[in-house]
Amino acid sequence: MDYAVSLLLIAVGAALINNFVLHYFVGLCPFLGVSRRLDTAFGMGSAVTFVISIAAFLSWTLTYFILRPGAPLTTLIAGRPLDLSILNYILYIFVIASSVQFVEMYVRKFFPHLYRAFGVYLPLITTNCAILFACLEIMKHVSGVDDPSKVWGLGQSLVLAFFAGIGFTVAISLMAGIREDLDLCDVPAALRGAGITFIVAGIMALGFMGFTGVDRGLEKALRKDGHSRAPRREAVVHQQTGTGALGGEGAAGGRS
Amino acid sequence: MRTEDGPTPLERFIRGILPENPVFRQMLGLCPTLAVTNNVKAALTMSAAVLFVLFSANVIVSLIRGLLKPHLRILVFTLTIATFVTIADRVIAAFMFGMSKQLGPYVPLIIVNCIIIARCEVCASRQSVWHAAADAVGQALGFTLALLSIASIREVLGSGTWLGMRVMPGVWPDWVIMVLPPGAFLTLGLLLGLVNWLGTLRRRPAS
Amino acid sequence: MEKDSQTSSMKAGAGNYFVQAWLVIVLALLFGLALAGVHSALSPRIAANKLQETLAEVPRLVPGAVKAERETVGGIPVYRALDKDGAVAGWVLPASGQGFSDRIELLVGLDATAGRITGLYVLDQKETPGLGNRISEEGWRAQFRGKSTGKPLVVTKGGAGGESEIQAVTGATISSESVVGIVNRAVTAFRAALKASGE
Repeated sequence: MDYAVSLLLIAVGAALINNFVLHYFVGLCPFLGVSRRLDTAFGMGSAVTFVISIAAFLSWTLTYFILRPGAPLTTLIAGRPLDLSILNYILYIFVIASSVQFVEMYVRKFFPHLYRAFGVYLPLITTNCAILFACLEIMKHVSGVDDPSKVWGLGQSLVLAFFAGIGFTVAISLMAGIREDLDLCDVPAALRGAGITFIVAGIMALGFMGFTGVDRGLEKALRKDGHSRAPRREAVVHQQTGTGALGGEGAAGGRS
Repeated sequence: MRTEDGPTPLERFIRGILPENPVFRQMLGLCPTLAVTNNVKAALTMSAAVLFVLFSANVIVSLIRGLLKPHLRILVFTLTIATFVTIADRVIAAFMFGMSKQLGPYVPLIIVNCIIIARCEVCASRQSVWHAAADAVGQALGFTLALLSIASIREVLGSGTWLGMRVMPGVWPDWVIMVLPPGAFLTLGLLLGLVNWLGTLRRRPAS
Repeated sequence: MEKDSQTSSMKAGAGNYFVQAWLVIVLALLFGLALAGVHSALSPRIAANKLQETLAEVPRLVPGAVKAERETVGGIPVYRALDKDGAVAGWVLPASGQGFSDRIELLVGLDATAGRITGLYVLDQKETPGLGNRISEEGWRAQFRGKSTGKPLVVTKGGAGGESEIQAVTGATISSESVVGIVNRAVTAFRAALKASGE
């Protein structure tokens, strides 16, 4: 039960609260480049979700068994605990590049329909920082953690990656929906293109900030031992600040 | 093999700073541009790391460009970049521990920063070491300029300080939103609009 | 410059794949050596940085302590704080948990029997600037000093006066409650482990 709750919290956190695009700013290149139309945006989102899950599986396996300080496999071979974490970044980027290649070949051969839907986006994903960022998040929870009971297992890593992909799909699809309508608006010439997209993204990020604290409420509702925490809307105070008034528009824009 | 005509080192250097500014003009390397600009110090550290990685990668790629063939090109670029990013990451962790905690995953994310791979591809794999070095410094300065402008706006409005020094009067109510994610998007969007607007102003008298 | 392009065009023959493979291997070896050098030169320093962050706070967290040693009590990693005669002055307990916007990492100072909290330090937090991040301020953290660990701490808004009461940071009740929750859980677990280990 506790495990299921922790998975749910990771999922909500990755998809909504700490949305990869709107909170961590990773995956911005496709977020800007492929968000002109809703169907292509959704295709890109699906491709990212697919690749990010595979990369998470591979990078967790590598980190857990080989790379982290005192990993079982290196200890077995060398006879003493080794620390190979200096190779982390190099191996992750190769894992990502090769899994993208592999996924592309596999999908083209066995799922031609799927390939037509998002195949063209696959090569672009190698340099998508969202994938590497997911690997790094997993690394943070596996490598060099003091308390062995807090080391993430495969389940947590996969849930984080998959729901981060879902969050990316949600954000890019919302943005594409808004941009389709934006084409009909009279945007000042200087702001056309990237400028207005960033401003819309800023308003969306304001809207997504409203999710902050949702995980604590969920945790309290689901865990009976709730450690005297009450979910309260801390974010409301932000509306006193200059741009806070835009929050309402953000929510409205997100729905359109 | 392509011929060596094309911009001179000086042209490469100057172009990187404003006419081909990596952030405002080419829209490359956006994730650190937004993520580490809530204070000026973090932005400067990130710029220095990018300068180091871009310079080293450009010089090495330019040195071995005669041996490179297309199908292994990207592999070699990635290997080179990932190595220097790891070195930069460890140096920051060893000598600026607090800063390395603050920058977190955004230092390793330099590996997939499009600026570096684009410069290796466009300039370093085609031109001499001097061109590549000048290009790296120019582009990195352009990147620094962009980060510095965004970080200054965000830190001054959001925390009332610049590089940690108090610049706003005490009655200034810190716009907390500026140091949070939405402030990053809004600042960059408005700055892009400003840069475009200035560009059209300059073009208009000419035409 | 021109010499380079000539050599490369001469090599563009059948043996080219070997040249390519050798290039990658040689580069990988060189980079591997560079990384090994960086690793052996800097990793002790990085590890020391991480440890120093905790050790530097020990004298402020546990009165009278001059140094600390890392150990585990009942599976819980903890630092044993020693005074200048080498006697146990108290404990420094690392604790972490979910805050309002991200994880909060704390160090809790305890006396030798873990009966009272002697100090609190915030190692890492990403709470809202200007509101939640005021949990790092000395003035707020000082409330924890001297609190008994026998009863769980509770958060109050407005005036706090009671023995086990902590006054919330204005506008950041959740961050305050998170810190108190993390402290309560860590201290309870550690007290049980300490009792079980018979110290």
